[in-house]
Amino acid sequence: MSARSILLYPDPALKAKTAQVSPTNPDVAAIVQDMLDTLKASPGVALAAPQIGQLVQIIVVDVSRKKGEQGHGLVVLLNPHILQQDGPRMIREGCLSVPDYTGNVLRYERTIVQGISPDGLPVTLVTSGFEALAFQHELDHLDGTLFLDRIASLSTDLFRRKR
Amino acid sequence: MNRYAMLTAFGQDRPGIVAALAEGLFQLGCNIEDTCMTRLRGEFTMMVMVRLPDGLSADQLASRLTPHTSPLGLTVLCREVPAQAAERGSELDMPIFMLSVYGADHPGIVAKIARVVADHGGNITDMNTRVIGADDRPVYTMILEVQMPVGSKPEALGQALDRLKPSLGVDLTFRPLEQVRL
Repeated sequence: MSARSILLYPDPALKAKTAQVSPTNPDVAAIVQDMLDTLKASPGVALAAPQIGQLVQIIVVDVSRKKGEQGHGLVVLLNPHILQQDGPRMIREGCLSVPDYTGNVLRYERTIVQGISPDGLPVTLVTSGFEALAFQHELDHLDGTLFLDRIASLSTDLFRRKR
Repeated sequence: MNRYAMLTAFGQDRPGIVAALAEGLFQLGCNIEDTCMTRLRGEFTMMVMVRLPDGLSADQLASRLTPHTSPLGLTVLCREVPAQAAERGSELDMPIFMLSVYGADHPGIVAKIARVVADHGGNITDMNTRVIGADDRPVYTMILEVQMPVGSKPEALGQALDRLKPSLGVDLTFRPLEQVRL
């Protein structure tokens, strides 16, 4: 149980397929704890399991780590998927696994996410704003999708991150 | 210490331009760093930052490329750039705005818009313009990315741009670009 290093592209784990997990799987608790410890040690608000090299469908999101954001607080979801989203908007997005760059990405203002809690209970979350963006970004990680896969043009959509 | 050159080249668009230039650079031992290439109407234009190999100057590069570029009729210009400007450094954290301007085409739109941006301390870091619309009613469109340094006043720039609208006969939007780190 400890903070891991966040994998950086081109680590192949970031482009790999992930497997669904059962909450009864004895490994899940340890992976979740590592993700929480890693998130706590990071400057970010969310993590997906592939970012610490675990090819399973687990995300942790806590937008309250960002000043002024509340959302649902800390959320741990297994096997999450998007039920519905609406309100398309273009934002400039950065990723802990692709440091120093940001890209213009089409996201949605509202997202309904469904998954199961580590206790095995079904969870449906209605998210909006920054929290919705965080869920969309983390769900992309479970598909091996990076923001680099979503930009249309390097000249108009990719930018060196402002530090 | 690495040495860099900025190379610009353009010529009538046809298949094989990028291949010819890239092969020439590769054979001369240059490493292609960042590039921006696009087609403007019928001209293919290239801006290429290259890392120079030992023993090759930026001045020599253009002439050494000639065997590759002249069959394609490319115009090639080359200049050394300071390593300080060419190395991958980080930029300062500064708010970014997008400015879209469009209206009936006439001379002076870019000049007047860019002047107002500059006078308010805005730094244009990316800009594309196109003439669109019907032949007899051309519409000028431009999209600019503007960085506003700390201490500058984006609201004042927005108001100044709004004041330009009637005299320039354009519509425009000046809006902050939300940046999200995840």
